[in-house]
Amino acid sequence: MLSMSDGRTNEEWLYALNTSGEIQETALTDLRDLLLRAALYFFNRNLADFDGMNRDKILHCAEDCAQEALIAVLNHLLDFRGDSKFTTWAYKFAINTALMTARRERWKGRSLEELSFFDNSMFFEWAMADESSWSTPDRSALQDEISHILREVIEHDLTEKQRQVLIMMVFHEVPMDEVVQRLGTNRNAIYKMLHDARRKLKNSLQARGFEVGELLALFREPR
Amino acid sequence: MDRNRFENWLKNIYATREEEISCSECFDLVSRFVELEVAGQDAAARMPELKQHLDQCRACRDEYESLRDLRLLEEKGEFPSLDDLQNSIQ
Repeated sequence: MLSMSDGRTNEEWLYALNTSGEIQETALTDLRDLLLRAALYFFNRNLADFDGMNRDKILHCAEDCAQEALIAVLNHLLDFRGDSKFTTWAYKFAINTALMTARRERWKGRSLEELSFFDNSMFFEWAMADESSWSTPDRSALQDEISHILREVIEHDLTEKQRQVLIMMVFHEVPMDEVVQRLGTNRNAIYKMLHDARRKLKNSLQARGFEVGELLALFREPR
Repeated sequence: MDRNRFENWLKNIYATREEEISCSECFDLVSRFVELEVAGQDAAARMPELKQHLDQCRACRDEYESLRDLRLLEEKGEFPSLDDLQNSIQ
């Protein structure tokens, strides 16, 4: 694919990065600059994650991300298949590193116990809060049944790890990379645990005859 | 959990497939997906497994959305300069 990016085609990027001397030096400088811009672009979209951190420290974090991403790009050059612009492929390493840095910053200081806490009231806090305004006895009975099924699965059918990951990510909205770091694992393993948990929840709901449209209508506020 | 999140969670439960691609496979494929979108093609139809993963995985979706938006800016010649990006962090 002959796509231009900052004056270089994909082939020119690969040639320059794989050669030596001044051509390689220039390409590395240009690539690092692009990766730094990608990291800063992500940080700008997610400044809330850095609440309380001063500007110099944020800029320093971005520099670290760019450096880390540059190393990752160079280590994965052989994986580039040419099915996108080279720079698009490279940006994702910077964005990935930037996201992990930003989310880690946001969630540091929260204990694992706090992030794993679960009790039954967390299911339908909102439904209970405005119950009087729209709920009917029939609707309430069905909602209770659904919540019972979901609770049963969470408490009895999931493995301890699946339950912990689900509670952290679904109920406490802990970002995946924070869970990865706290549990000392990787994204694939966490995704698989959530996937297995979803399959068990889906199978249990369907086994009891509940389909998605009906469920959503049950929990949606009447207009 | 608020109402919107609960609804989305139910939708995700029902959209679950027996086989789903991993985060690593998503990372590997996402630049191709973005490139198709930038070219105005129906990336979701061409790469349904990737789309399904993005719908289920918040981390991968956040990265994808940033990559797509950055790439669209670049396509329009509007990817901010290093100075502008540094200055916009206060």
